[in-house]
Amino acid sequence: MSAPLESVRIIEMGQLIAIPFAMKMLADMGAQVIRLESTGRLESYRGDSVYKNDISGEFWNKGANFYEQNRNKLGITLDLSKPEGRSILKELIATADIFAENFTPRVIKNFGLEYEELRKIKPDIIMVSSTGYGFYGPWANYGATGPATEGAAGLAYQTGYLGGGSPVMADIPYTDYTSGEHTVFAVMAALMHRLRTGQGQFVDISQTQATSSTIPEVLMDYSANGCTGQRMGNQDTAMSPHGCYPCRGDDRWITIAVTTDKQWQSVCWVLGQEAWAADPRFEDSFARWKNRDELDALIGPVTSFWYAHELMHALQREGVAAGAVLDSKDLLFDPHLNERGFYEVVAHHESTGIPPLPYASRPWKLSKTPAVAGKAAPLMGEHNSLILSELLGKTTDEMAALEEGGIIGYGPTDPRPVQRPSLDEQVRQGRMQRYETDFEEQVRKGFLM
Amino acid sequence: MSERALEGVKVLDLTNHIAGPYCTKLLADFGAEVVKIERPGGDPARRMAPFHHDEADPEKSLVFAYLNTNKQSVTLNLKSEKGVEVLKSLVEESDVLVENFAPRVMPSLGLDFETLQQINSRLVMTSISNFGQTGPYRDYRAADIVEYALGGLMYIFGAYDREPLKHAFNQAQFKAGTDAASATLMAMYHQRLTGEGQRVDVSIQEAVATGLRDVVNNFTYSGAVRRRQPNHSGDLSRIRASADGHLIPNPGLGAGFDWKTLVDFLDLPALDDEKFGTPSARLVNAEELGRILDEHFIKQNKYDMFYASHEKRFIFGVVQSPEEVMADPQFAARNYFVDIDHTVLGTLKYPGAPFEMSGTPWEARSPAPTLGQHNQEVIGQRLGHTPEQLAQLRATQII
Repeated sequence: MSAPLESVRIIEMGQLIAIPFAMKMLADMGAQVIRLESTGRLESYRGDSVYKNDISGEFWNKGANFYEQNRNKLGITLDLSKPEGRSILKELIATADIFAENFTPRVIKNFGLEYEELRKIKPDIIMVSSTGYGFYGPWANYGATGPATEGAAGLAYQTGYLGGGSPVMADIPYTDYTSGEHTVFAVMAALMHRLRTGQGQFVDISQTQATSSTIPEVLMDYSANGCTGQRMGNQDTAMSPHGCYPCRGDDRWITIAVTTDKQWQSVCWVLGQEAWAADPRFEDSFARWKNRDELDALIGPVTSFWYAHELMHALQREGVAAGAVLDSKDLLFDPHLNERGFYEVVAHHESTGIPPLPYASRPWKLSKTPAVAGKAAPLMGEHNSLILSELLGKTTDEMAALEEGGIIGYGPTDPRPVQRPSLDEQVRQGRMQRYETDFEEQVRKGFLM
Repeated sequence: MSERALEGVKVLDLTNHIAGPYCTKLLADFGAEVVKIERPGGDPARRMAPFHHDEADPEKSLVFAYLNTNKQSVTLNLKSEKGVEVLKSLVEESDVLVENFAPRVMPSLGLDFETLQQINSRLVMTSISNFGQTGPYRDYRAADIVEYALGGLMYIFGAYDREPLKHAFNQAQFKAGTDAASATLMAMYHQRLTGEGQRVDVSIQEAVATGLRDVVNNFTYSGAVRRRQPNHSGDLSRIRASADGHLIPNPGLGAGFDWKTLVDFLDLPALDDEKFGTPSARLVNAEELGRILDEHFIKQNKYDMFYASHEKRFIFGVVQSPEEVMADPQFAARNYFVDIDHTVLGTLKYPGAPFEMSGTPWEARSPAPTLGQHNQEVIGQRLGHTPEQLAQLRATQII
């Protein structure tokens, strides 16, 4: 059994999530991804959320998010501000199937890396650009973060608690993933086309556009009816009850979503509330939806006697959609995800002091062509020699000259770690719910290491 | 006619609701031939609000109209032997079958992968389900909110001291649909190289759990469990109210960021203080910083701030209403919203290309089909059934 993309080589000039996440997915499925980085402009994920919050030593090889986004890639450093750096990049692109980047068009043009330039070097290259708002248009050169495009796309406007207040956004760069998911699809479509015709092309991902494409509920309503919905909290436009209710314990919750009368009867029975089942205010789905605020107010005080997981299983046994709200530890040890092998244990380079750790894998399983075995993200410059000498044939002297001239390197030129506050301080500020000092032992036992 | 990326890829689409149809929409919009099999009453999404002019009618669901562009519709009763027979003859000449029933449904219809693979060894069968085709929660039910909860996104979403929240609408379904389209093409790539088909198992829960940052990692790297973030926070990427709405006044990350430039741009001397001068200091003094920023931005106009910030190469974001999205000059320059003419809905603007491909552009070749619109064309012409046989199928309510 071999991975499906083994014949594909990708040169990645990515940063943070949007492109690195997408290229990781392709690397998992066998593509050879050669990731470029700069020693002069340290990728912030390299030095953030470092193992045990310890910024001593080579902190840039200890960042959680860097490891999360760059599994199974080869890593080289190149200073693109120097002509020698740009020339090596072009040599690499000449050997590649795909060049993927998420910088603004301004940067790409400054480096002479537009598609029209690249196809002179490699006529069938597929170039993938991912930007906040798209490669052309009046906002093309506007830098963006995930929250900015979540706002621009129209998703944030509709999301938030009932009863006014501010829109609410995910506390992660959510649209980086939405656009990253679309990027994987776009690359696969371009590869399918190239396989049939031998032709490359330019793929222009606007992170905003990809996100707007996932909210037809409101954009079509506005387009056809001129309607703009209200922020609905966790309520639904048809189902009721539909919400997130408190459970036993500190900050514990369950979600419940009811469609049919039979499910509603089951909810009443499981919660021991026969009176609700007979109440005309809740007799059918329309009545329940009309009276959803009253219903929600009744349910919360009752669920709070239950442990979330117990109630989830009790409701699911009766055919009711219900799910405990999993925190990070619950998610890591979730029996269902682990039965499916969702987490993959990846070993880290000895020099980092990080033990083997489990990472989220992928949302798909392919029966005949599974993913490759997980290999940790590269140390800074780890594959300089492999790629530059073995693939491009640079001699030992040339390699020495490149290092001497600062074109390649093995650590940041200006190492400036960000010291996070202590975990106690983060709990005090409310950023963290809690922390557990025996986590290493728990992780080791949980994943049989 | 321009070239199509997925020219020649034949998809048999047994999906309904959102996740499956978005998967096959992506395939269809980039050129695959998609035959959508609907139960005689139609895809339940045809009954999903919002409707055109609020008229609940199976041809007027706006979400259905969006999700099913470029597809053909054939009605088929899969609970009848004859219906299953017709389906199997379609499987014979398809590259891909996509379905998003509960995991027990396809085997119960005699349409498990092993059986279908005997009919067509090249077949890629993609199944999208709430929790995947295996595991203890396999048959558990879900709605989008349950996927948010069990996918780990909900716990960290919302206000510190209130119940966890989810995004509006059906984001988990769209994520899984996109993932399924990608995975299907990975299997198709292998099929085109080797002639071999296979089974693709996509889990909506895992689609959510794959797209998180600093969640599981927080625990494995430090033992910490992240909570929903407190309201008053100096986190520069937070949403803040303006005089006319909301904006995200994030100056921009990265090593080169200069605090003083931001202080000058905002003309807020109170921030010119060592309490806020470094990322570490800002984390410590987050609450005070948050208050100062809130008091400043509430007096500003969001688009003024947005455009002015980008002049200085800060990267502020703006929260746009649906109306503002549809009037957005960037979308306009990129012709994102496209007119699609539908026999019942007339001409409406739809969200268009999720991304652009220079050689094989996104296309709206045809609007969403009416129920059973292509029965004749697909079952009659493609499978070679005679008009009498078709009439027979219709009379026995197979189609």
